[in-house]
Amino acid sequence: MPERVILTIGTKKGLFVAEAPKTRGRFALRGPFGSGVSVYSALIDTRGKPRLYASSCNPFFGMKVLRSTDLGKTFKETASAPAFPKDDGRALANIWSLAAGDGRNDLWCGVEPASLFRSPDGGDSWEMVQGISNHDHARKWQPGNGGLCLHTIIRDGNRVHLGISTGGHYLSDDGGKSFTASNKGVGAGFAPDPYPEFGQCVHKIARHKDAPGRLYMQNHGGWADWTGPGGPRPDIGVLRSDDHGRSWRSIAKGLPSDFGFPMVVHPHDADTIYVVPLTPATRTCPDSAPAVWRSEDGGGAWKRLAKGLPKKDSFFTVLRDGMDVDELKSPALYFGTTTGQLWIGRDGGEKWDCLFDSLPPINCVKVAVV
Amino acid sequence: MSITVHVPAGLHACCDRSSDLSLSVPSVRAALEELERGHPSTYRSICDETGAVRRHVNLFVNTSHIRDREGLDTALAPGDVLTILPAVSGG
Repeated sequence: MPERVILTIGTKKGLFVAEAPKTRGRFALRGPFGSGVSVYSALIDTRGKPRLYASSCNPFFGMKVLRSTDLGKTFKETASAPAFPKDDGRALANIWSLAAGDGRNDLWCGVEPASLFRSPDGGDSWEMVQGISNHDHARKWQPGNGGLCLHTIIRDGNRVHLGISTGGHYLSDDGGKSFTASNKGVGAGFAPDPYPEFGQCVHKIARHKDAPGRLYMQNHGGWADWTGPGGPRPDIGVLRSDDHGRSWRSIAKGLPSDFGFPMVVHPHDADTIYVVPLTPATRTCPDSAPAVWRSEDGGGAWKRLAKGLPKKDSFFTVLRDGMDVDELKSPALYFGTTTGQLWIGRDGGEKWDCLFDSLPPINCVKVAVV
Repeated sequence: MSITVHVPAGLHACCDRSSDLSLSVPSVRAALEELERGHPSTYRSICDETGAVRRHVNLFVNTSHIRDREGLDTALAPGDVLTILPAVSGG
């Protein structure tokens, strides 16, 4: 069977799956699956025969994990969802991240309240990862506007990076047995201490698989005008690390705002990254004119990519998992909006087209070539 | 003689497409324990992992909300109907 591009689109009203040939001319849409229920995370698992996973976050009846073995034509609930031990006192409020582990059926899952779970069997059973879920800091983290969520899981052998809002960046060097807060240079705007040990509102962390020591972070910026204790803290929102996340420095200079949610790395070039700067107060694009911004030198300089996007009167937000990039030779970017539009940016974002105009509000977008 | 658990449409998939389950139990708590054993997915949809009934789920014995009776200790008699209902939403 020829290779296809598969998109998962997690929305406020369920999961949609879009499929196209590698030419990416026309995408066929199916869904919603888990109809009427918010989907905050999805995973297109390309290890062996592809499988699709999605969280189904029902405010009435709780959290489920959905799994598809036929490329998103049908989904079934896995035998169980992550759950805290009965005597823990916490209850699962949301599923924010699904990631592939080492083994063929090994899954990792980040949840709210911020904790980490692992499944050895493709999501049918789950075990809490004590090293972060019961970390000394865990009961001191505070929820941000989106909730207290563990939203980013990046693995590099025994090194594991986690992004927690609001907890910060946590690093494990022993495969996830233990974690250390690793936030040197990561600022916080909502505390008198501009550089606390932990508690930062990290929005997203990304890296290129062939450059594991280089990480990029979209942090909660927008604090340049703060006049309270600790003083202003400009440019804390877009950061880079060159030492596996042990220290971070700003790369926000040249962007119209250091506030935003997603952070994406080009699949073939670790120096090329994409962000969507937003006005902090409204979480919408500056001047109501949406744009993705690209740096081709690891954050030294930035270029605005907006050809085909609305030039005015546009007030959507792109959420933390709302943007992804495919791995074709000339990759395309995809982002979904809180107003239900799914955009494709062909040639690495040089030219934008709206694939779907009237979906429910979009939480997350993932893409894979299978 | 048993009681009937009436399951809302949103949970039919958790219990083999059934809208009504028949249980022989003396209380609401015992009904939930029986669901946990026999229909774990249905139970997880009603109660979180602490054992508490989910915030937006209401349980009625016949026409009475269990909060107006004895909560989970509300006694059930043969012929009673325990209805599971999601809280009203919309707007």
